[in-house]
This record gives sequence, C-alpha cells and structure tokens, in this order.
Amino acid sequence: MTPNSTISLSVDGKQIAVPAGTLLIEACKSVGIEVPSFCYYPGLSLQAACRMCLVEIEKAPKLQTACTVVVQPGMVARTNTPQVHAARKAMLEFLLTNHPLDCPVCDKGGECELQDMTFRYGAAESRFVEIKEHQPEQRFSPVVYFDYPRCILCFRCVRVCDEAMDVKALGVGQRGVHSVIIPNQPDGTLACEECGMCIDICPVGALLPQAYRYKTRPWEVKYVATPCTHCGDGCKTTLSVRQHEIIRGNNRDKSGINGDFLCVKGRYAFDFVSHPARLRQPLLRQNGQLQPTTWEEALRTVATRLKEIVERVGGDAVGFIGSNHTTNEENYLFQRLARVAIGTNNIDHHRTADYAGFAAALKGETARLARTRDLLQASAILLIGNDPTHNHPLLAYHIRDAVRHRGARLYIINHRWIKLERQARQVIRVPEGGEAAVAEVFRGQSRSLTPDTLSALRVLQETLRKERDLIVLFGAELTGRAIARLMNWGNQLPGVTRYIALGDYANSRGAADMGLFPDRLPGYARVEDDGARRRFKELYHHPLPPRGGANVRQMIQAIVSGRMLALYVVGANPVKTFALPSPAKTLGGLELLVVQDLFLTETAELADVVLPAACTYEKEGTVTNTCGELQQLKRAVDPPAGVRSDFEIFRLLLHLLGHPVSFRTPESVLEEIRQHVSGYDVSFASLLAGQAVPTSLPAATGAVEPESGLIFSSDDSLFTSGTLGRYSEVLNSVHERNLPRDRL
Amino acid sequence: MALALSSALRQKFDELKRRYPSPRSPLVPMLLFAQDELGYVSEELVEFLANELGLRRVEVEETASYYSMLRRKPCGRYHVQICTNIACMLRGGTDLLEHAEKRFNVPPREPTPDGLFSYEEVECIGACTGAPAVQVNYNYHEGLTVESFDRLLSDLAAGNEPKPVPYTTGVYPDQPHPAEVRVLSRRFTPTPTPALESYRQRDGYKAFIRALKEMTPDQVIEEVKASHLRGRGGAGFSAGMKWGFVPKDSPKPKYVIANADESEPGTCKDRPLMEFDPHQLIEGILIAAYAVDAHRGYIYVRGEYRYVLEILDRAIEEASAAGLLGADILGSGFNFDLCTHTGAGAYECGEESALMESLEGKRGYPRIRPPFPAVVGLYGCPTVINNVETLSAVPSIILNGGEWYAQLGTPRNGGTRLFCISGHVNRPGVYELPMGFSLRRMIEEVAGGVWKGKKLKAVIPGGSSTPVLTAAEADVAMDFDSLAKAGSMLGSGGVVVMDEDTCMVNVARRIMHFYAHESCGWCIPCREGTAWLRKLLDRFHAGGGRDVDIPLLAQLSRNMLGKTFCPFGDAAAMPTISIVEKFRDEFEEHLRTGACPFARSEVAVAED
Repeated sequence: MTPNSTISLSVDGKQIAVPAGTLLIEACKSVGIEVPSFCYYPGLSLQAACRMCLVEIEKAPKLQTACTVVVQPGMVARTNTPQVHAARKAMLEFLLTNHPLDCPVCDKGGECELQDMTFRYGAAESRFVEIKEHQPEQRFSPVVYFDYPRCILCFRCVRVCDEAMDVKALGVGQRGVHSVIIPNQPDGTLACEECGMCIDICPVGALLPQAYRYKTRPWEVKYVATPCTHCGDGCKTTLSVRQHEIIRGNNRDKSGINGDFLCVKGRYAFDFVSHPARLRQPLLRQNGQLQPTTWEEALRTVATRLKEIVERVGGDAVGFIGSNHTTNEENYLFQRLARVAIGTNNIDHHRTADYAGFAAALKGETARLARTRDLLQASAILLIGNDPTHNHPLLAYHIRDAVRHRGARLYIINHRWIKLERQARQVIRVPEGGEAAVAEVFRGQSRSLTPDTLSALRVLQETLRKERDLIVLFGAELTGRAIARLMNWGNQLPGVTRYIALGDYANSRGAADMGLFPDRLPGYARVEDDGARRRFKELYHHPLPPRGGANVRQMIQAIVSGRMLALYVVGANPVKTFALPSPAKTLGGLELLVVQDLFLTETAELADVVLPAACTYEKEGTVTNTCGELQQLKRAVDPPAGVRSDFEIFRLLLHLLGHPVSFRTPESVLEEIRQHVSGYDVSFASLLAGQAVPTSLPAATGAVEPESGLIFSSDDSLFTSGTLGRYSEVLNSVHERNLPRDRL
Repeated sequence: MALALSSALRQKFDELKRRYPSPRSPLVPMLLFAQDELGYVSEELVEFLANELGLRRVEVEETASYYSMLRRKPCGRYHVQICTNIACMLRGGTDLLEHAEKRFNVPPREPTPDGLFSYEEVECIGACTGAPAVQVNYNYHEGLTVESFDRLLSDLAAGNEPKPVPYTTGVYPDQPHPAEVRVLSRRFTPTPTPALESYRQRDGYKAFIRALKEMTPDQVIEEVKASHLRGRGGAGFSAGMKWGFVPKDSPKPKYVIANADESEPGTCKDRPLMEFDPHQLIEGILIAAYAVDAHRGYIYVRGEYRYVLEILDRAIEEASAAGLLGADILGSGFNFDLCTHTGAGAYECGEESALMESLEGKRGYPRIRPPFPAVVGLYGCPTVINNVETLSAVPSIILNGGEWYAQLGTPRNGGTRLFCISGHVNRPGVYELPMGFSLRRMIEEVAGGVWKGKKLKAVIPGGSSTPVLTAAEADVAMDFDSLAKAGSMLGSGGVVVMDEDTCMVNVARRIMHFYAHESCGWCIPCREGTAWLRKLLDRFHAGGGRDVDIPLLAQLSRNMLGKTFCPFGDAAAMPTISIVEKFRDEFEEHLRTGACPFARSEVAVAED
C-alpha cells in the first residue's frame, strides 16, 4: 500500500474514501459522523482508554475503538447501532459514578465535553448510590487549579504536557479508581512552563485557570479572538470578556496560526490591562512634578512646544522613538508625524531583529520567506542563535511538532544550551557571539571558531545539502552582512531553503516594515531614494526630509550634546532598554520629553508630558508577526476612560501641528498602507476573515552593517515581556520566572 | 543529597543497570531493593533515582505509586501482610486480619508505637494451597490459625524470627498422588535441590543441547506446535504458534520473557516450579530463545516471591558458569543472556503487555494491541512471552517429542497441568495431572474431598477470573475446550473449592475487592466498574441491598464485559455474572433477611 493511496470503506452504510493510514474515528469525522471520545486527541499518542468510541466493525468479534483502528479496504463500520449506543451510555454511566455532578457551579458547565456527551448519549437517571471518591481541590500553581473529583482521567493533560510541550510536569499517580493526575513537585505543585495547555485540553472542569474560577458562566461572556500582544509569533488568544473585563485567554476556537497552542503570556498575561498602575489621564510636568491634566492641555502643550522648537532650531532637534507593540497603522502615522509634521528622519525603535538587513539579503525573493506553519512541513530546520522556547514559544512548539510527527531534522547552532536541543539531531556550540561567524564558515572562510567547531560546521553543511526542504531561523545574533552571507550560502543548497528572522515583540516586524528607521521609509526604501520620497510626497502633499536621521544611539548622543531638544517616545522604555546611564541627567537636558504609554515607565517618569495610551486589546489595527504575517486586532474591551489609542493621539497631534489627515479609522490607514507600502498589498478579505495573511518583503537596497548596539533581542523568558510584562501579576506570580532555563 | 545507601545496594544498582538496554528499565527493582534497605520510598530516593536514571522526578513518582508493595511512608520492622483473598478467606484469613487489627491497634501500613510491627491486608500472595498465609516482610508463613499467628507475632516481638515455610505448602514431593502424572514436577524432591548438578543428573539441559545441535529453530517450533502446549498463564494460546509469529527477518533484537508474575487468585504453581526446579525453566527459556533467535531474556518475577528470585539468580549464575548462558553457548555460536526482574506488587503486570511496560520501568499499563508482542514487544522489539509453566514444559517436549506430550492430555490440549487445589478440601495442594482430568475426581480423590464432611457448593476452576461452577457442574474434564463448553475457563489452574456453608455473595464481594484493588485505572469501564461493583457488593453483603441491585450487578458486569482495554475487565465481570446467575437465591436471601444468612466467618473486610 503506498502512502498516498486511498481506502474505500463503509460507515453507517455510507461509502467513503479516505487516505490510507487514516484512523477510523477521523474517517468518520471527515464525512460528518461523530464518534464521541474523550481520550482521543489529534496529534497526541493513542490511548483507547475512555472506550467512548467503541463501534461495530463487521467480522470483529466485539466492539472496537475507532480511535485505534486504521481503516482497511472494504471495512464495514457501524456507529449508530443499539449496541454502540448502549456501550456509550454504559461508559458515560461509569464516568459519572465518581464525577461530582457539580455542573451548576462548575466553570466548565456549558462548554464541558462530559456534559455534552451525557446530554447526547447518556442515561437520564443515575443508578449509582454509593459514596463517591473525593479529594479537595488542589492549587497546582498560581494559575492552575486541579479539582480531582471532576477528572475523568483521559490523560490529555499528561500527554500534551509531555508530548507536545516536552515538559512532562504532569503524571499519573496511584492506580485503579484512586488514579490521580499529579504535578511534578514533591509538595504537589508544578514547576513548568505554566503554559496552561493542560487546562485548555481538559474536557471537563478538572483543570482550571485561576483567573476564571468561579467568576462567570461561559454563555455570559463575549469571545474575542485577537493577536496576542507579547512576543513576535502572532498567536491568537481568544479573550473571554465579561462586562468590560477580560477574565480568560484561550485558544479553544483554534482561530489562529497557533492552533492548539498558547504560552503563559498569551493565556494569562492580559491582566496588565486592568493593572492599578495603568495611566488613566494625561500628565503634565508642572513645578517639577507630573500633574494630571486634560487631553486638550496635554496635546496643545506637545504641539505648541514642538512647533516652537522646530521653528527655533529646526526639525532635526526632535527625535522619535517608536514601539514594538503599536499597530502598523499607528507606526505609519507616527513616521508621518516625524517626517512630515516635524520634518525629520530622527526616528527609530528598539530593533529586535535586522529586518532591514534581511530584506536586503532576500533581494525580493519572497518565495524564500517561510511562514509560521511552513515549519510543520519542513524536512529540516536550522536554528542559529535565539532561544525559541522562551523568545518564540509558538515557533518552538511547531518545531517540536515537526520533529515529533514528521521526523523533521533539527540542527542547532547556539552559544548556550537551549531546551530545543532535546529535539535536535545535531547541536553545535559556538562561543558567545559566535553565531554570526557561522555564516563566514559556511562561505568557506573561518575566523574565531575552534577547529572542532569548524569541522562540525563543515559536516553540518554537507548534511544540509541533502535536505529537500530546509527552514533557517536566525536570531538577532545575525545582522547585516552575516545574514547576507548566510543566505548566499543557503540559497545555493540543492533543496528549497527558506528563512525566518526572529524578532521579539508583537509588532517588531511591523515597526520595521512601517519605516520606523532613520534611514528607511515604509517599505524599506532608503530616505535618499528620490523616487521613493517623491511617491510619499505625492501621498502626503508634503516633501520628506532627504537626509538620513539619527538612530536611537545617535539620538541619545545628540541629547547629551544638546543638539536634540525634544524627544517623543511611544510605547517604549529606552531608559531601560538601552540602559541609559544616569537617565535623569541625560534626558533632563531635553526641553521636551513626551512619553506615550500604558504605564509610568522609567522613561515616562522623566517626561514633561505623559499621554496614556490604549493597549492592543483595546483597539483596532493590524500587527505583523516575525514571519511577516499580517493580522487584524479585534477590540476586546474599551480603553479606560481618559485613555486614547495611539491612533487617535497621532491624528489629533497631526491636526494640531497643521498637517491634518483624513483617516477616521485605522482601517482607512491600512488601505493606504496596502496601496503604498511595498509588501503590504494583501487580500483585505482574508484579513477581515481573521487569517494571518503573508506580507512580502521588498528588496531593500543599500544595506549597510548596522552600528553595534542597535539590534539586539531582549531575550525575554516565558515569564517576562519587556516593560509590559512587569505589569502582569500572573507573570510575576509564578515561581518559575526565577528558575534557570535549564530547570524548566 | 541526603541519601545514604549501603555499598552493597549501590553495587546492586550498578549490576541492575547493566541488565537492560534501556536506562529506565531497572527502576522498579531499584525502588524495591532500596525500600528493603530504607524501609520506604523516601522523597530523597525518588530524586536520587531520577538523577541516576536520567528521568524526571514525576516519572519516578508515577511508577513508584503504581506498585502496591512500594510504600511512601515508613512501616514497622516486621511488615505483616495478611492475605484475605478468596483461598485464604475460605480458610480463616479474615480472622487473621481481624486479629492483627486488634493486636496492633494501628491503622494499616502504619507502624506500631514501638516501630516493631505494621500490617496490611494484601491480595493473593501465591500461597493458596497453604492458606491462610501471611508474609512477614518477604517470609512466608502458611497454614496458620489465629493461635499460631499470634504465636508467630509474639516470637517476632521477642526477637525470635521463626523459620518461614521452606517451600510452597501443598506440594507433596515425597508422596505424589497416584493419579498424578509427573512431568514438570518429576524432579521435585522432599528437600528442594534446585542445583544445576542434580538437574543435569536427571536429563537436565539435554533437551536444549539436542535442540541446539540437532534441530533447526523451525523444527523446534514445529515440535512445540505438535505438542499442543497451550499457554498456562490462563489464555490457553498455542505456544508454538506464538513462537511462529516472531518475524524471522526483523533487524531488531528479539527477547524472551518468562512471565513469573503469578498472581491470579487461587494459583500457586509457578512458585514451586521455580523453587524446586529453576533450571527446567531456564532450559525452556533457552529453547524458546533458540527457536526465535533471541539473545536476551528476562524472568519477570512478582515482587512477593523474593526468595524465588534469589533461587533463580543462583541458578542463572550456575548456568552461566557452566557455559549454558552467555556468549557462544557450548561452542555453538549461539548467545543468550538471562536475567531476573522483580515486580513490586501489581496483578495487572501479569498481562503480557503491561508486564513489558513494567519491565521498561513504567506503570503497568497494558498496551494497545495489535501489534502483538511477537512483533512489537519489549523495547518495541519482537518478543516471546510465556508463562513459567508453559516454558517449563518445553524441555520435556523436546526430549520426548511433541506427539508424546500431546498424548498425555486430551485432543488439542496437550500434556499435563499443575493444578492448585485450595479452599475447602482436606488435602489442598499442587498436583500435576493430565489435561482433561475430571474436576470431580480432582476434588474428591486427589484433594481428599470437601473438608469436615461437608457438601460441595461451588468451585472456581481456573483462578478467580473464571466463571464459577456449581457442585452439579463439577463433572467436567479439566482442559481448555471442555471448560469453555461448560461456560467457564481452565485459566491458570487455580481450583478453589467452596463448601455448603460458603456465602457466595461474600465470595463475589471478595473477588471484586481484588479486581478493584488491582485495576490499573487505565480504562473507564474497568476502573469505575470494579470500584462501583465493590461498593455495591460491600453494601449488599452487609445487608443494605435493594431489589434493583441484583439485576444491576449483572448489568454493570456486562457493561464491562468485552469493552475494557485489556482482558482484566472480563476477568472481573465473568465470575460476578456467574455467581449472580447461579446463586441468585443467596442474593435474594440477603435481601429478605437484611443480613448475611451464613456463619460469622463473613465479616466485611476493611475498606481499602
């Protein structure tokens, strides 16, 4: 039987055809026949433990589990006979014997698989009159609670934690009717990645998230699936919103590229939204103190003083630092504000990957851009630098999936131990900073690496020549020329080679794409490019400054030397990110420091004007993940009273600065981006449908090696998320944030 | 790490680690041997073993908590394990338990204040023909009365350790019954002499040498097929066919496993086979290995049989020293290494795929089948797994021919069987009788008839998993096919006889206690069904029955039957269904009188 052949069989009298190797339960599902199951879960190992999927198969002496039977030619299966119905009823009756039937107070009520199955297949009455097994609820961690009596021992949680997460923090203890899910610590708690996959996969109310327990009924909440605001992977988290409050994040609707997956941040770290330290009104420095003020006053102050400085010394006395979290539309308006309203190219952001270098090296060969889900199909994956388990949890999940299910070969080059090494075929350790040197070796040169490393790399090169479909992921360790060298080598491999550049945050890629650079316009055209500038001039009805501006480091120098008098910081905390020495002194030299953020960050504390901004979950717009996939935000809750979205703020400021824009909504900005930013001419319909739509990366010309200190990853762990993460009580509450990574 | 282990134990650990191709495999033996030294499985031990074997802590915890012999808390210096399973219950095991409860006055498994004793009720310990029996630590004391039990405890308290029974009670090596046909037990001598020398003096290893030197592997398999040797563990599958399923062209290593996890209540035949004649088993394993081209084998011995494990270890050592095991055996170029492996208390590990999981250091969960072990077995490799008695029969078959062996029994039921006759008979014992021997004669003649001149009420023909027969049904030939025709099973050969005063509700109740205790918990119908039935039968027997309970018992059993992951559910359901069907009047009488109508011997066993 060839793997591609098709098998014909009969289910409930229906002739069906499915690929060889299909499990009967999946074959039934493919034609809309439900075979109930608890323990069967696609992608996890087979259990045949719950016995719910028992069906009749002709010539088999007794009922068979549809979850373990592989279809055979001519098989005749029946799922709808009195015998099958009786078996399902019997299994449910057994399951309910020790189940507490506390559905009226159980959080799972209304979305419980046991409830649904009982409704559909169960008995109307209970014949069990004995005493039930009982144990009190346990707190496995600050986020995971376990209610033993509700557990039906389907072992999904144990398997997802072990097989899909490679954590194995849950096990099964005792035996028989006393069998119980046990966490991995001797004191009955968890030490794990706290991803909460166990909670999502639990068919009943046995595993529950702390934030959601005893809060609501599932039918009372609104579900909003929107991209997560934390890392750059672009998972969708479906937020459960009740009365303007987010009380849960999960992915049960599988609405995103993350499928089943969410990490601790996507699932729980929405709580910063309602953090008490959230800024709720604009602040204005008066007599040395930040004092609450009105929006009118705050914005007028910003506009007036900016105008005054521009008129007095020119636009180049003003700098702009943008955000890795604000939307594409906001970033696009932000650069317009700098370039048009102020007339400077002094605009930059914390670059967590050299996307510009990547665009230059790619030379417009967009077929070489790998998308998130391509990882699942690759025959081989080469990972240089980065620690995806922490920096890119979804990509790590997909990589593990590819290795586990498809036997993909993973090769790792890193200066430190990373958890994915457990899946790797080969690991090459390089000295710190040695990742960039690897590309030189690949091109036949060698510099700083030891002979052992060099020979290992040569072997790896030969190995990779045999791969049919390779995806290369590289972290911020590789920039400019190193990326170009790597791709020069990779593009010459006999098989298909595609790439992913790894950047840190939800819209790091978008910030680059939208031109938050001193030397590049939206779409990576250089500011010196007359044609590109002309196009934007026609669009903005205003010329753009022709010379490159200052990058973040240069801005800081300019502030210190007194050449820069005003700085406008949006959704960034340069004091921390760039570790400014004596920040009060440095930034104190400014005539005007404007900070637009959610919280009073170290940078905001020094500001003259603080503008409280809405967060990702409170607004519309689009973000682009590290693989270049564009997704639309869905507003889950309204911003707190007194808080405005960055979009609104920019719009108002542009108006006050005398450069009004006609956009009423972020969507109208997106329309302009689609038409005028290279790579963003995507299908609007797909975007509206909630898909992650691939953008392409235009050929960026004139790449130069970026100055050192401009491109670096924050190397956030699973439990940190830049400045934002500090305002998540959940992330702060889990003890694992203090464990070294190799202990997780 | 604050864990002090003796150097002997560390040496043992090192030796154990060398026995297996997989680092996790020695986990269960290491836990048990360490517990022997430390008194219990401490948290330090769990972490130590996790480190030692490269496991996560929770994986050690999962495994440790599965096996009932492993304790997470200290117990007394003398841990008194009282069997109250069916064979022992019928002869006063419950009285011993009650006595212990009174004498020690502490909860089960907890040490007395002086730290000297602890006790617990245990499931069948394979001393059915010496019932009632207890184990003090690993020592067997059989044929006890409350008085002799009390003396035993007093002796222990006084620092005198009474000698344990030297071998399985009820093996009559010096006075075989005239009806016996001693093939497997022909070397049993009044004092067990399990040494290689005496074995070789009586045809020992001749069969293996003949196979090795004169026969092809296929010829060996054909001979075993011709013998109609059927699995003695209970399922009765043809041993020769099983061997024949092993793929010849597999690039993977192949394994032979002897299943010595004897724990079917009422069964104690593998124990004497190993204590009296361990080399016969080793020779059988060698022949099987030669037949399927395996180069490594394990004898999985239930944890309670510690002294048997030691006998086997010595025998393996002897055989290795004599060049009968190891590399290039007798210059033939054939290599085979054999090791013992101890379990730690889990009936389910007698199921062949669960046994392999256990041997791999995991919880004893059965595996999805197909694939069957012959194709995908231990470590995912082709594996022959047979019961001790099955393998012990192989040397005689090779020596005397399959035909000869087949003719000892009835058609398609070759050879002899070691029947363990326990319960209410005058002469309980392990008797080797031809297949097809009359059950009635077995009870009346061989075992000396029902005790105290009482009438026969019922008999379990093949271990507690087999449907019970009434006195009227006892005229049946004891072979696989005849018993199947009679609506029961030959099973493991554990014949448990019950007299007219036996409460069959209590029998059903005690049987279900066993299955509920031993259910691995993997699948829903078995896990929940056995526990439900246990509670129901407890209540019913104590006088709390309802009209609806009688049909409910049968319905719940049927809801398990044929629907569980492994045959365990059937094993729990079948006896229950048969007892409810055949002794319905006793259930009705319990209902009518609101109490157990039988003698005081029926006292509810403590909830577990």
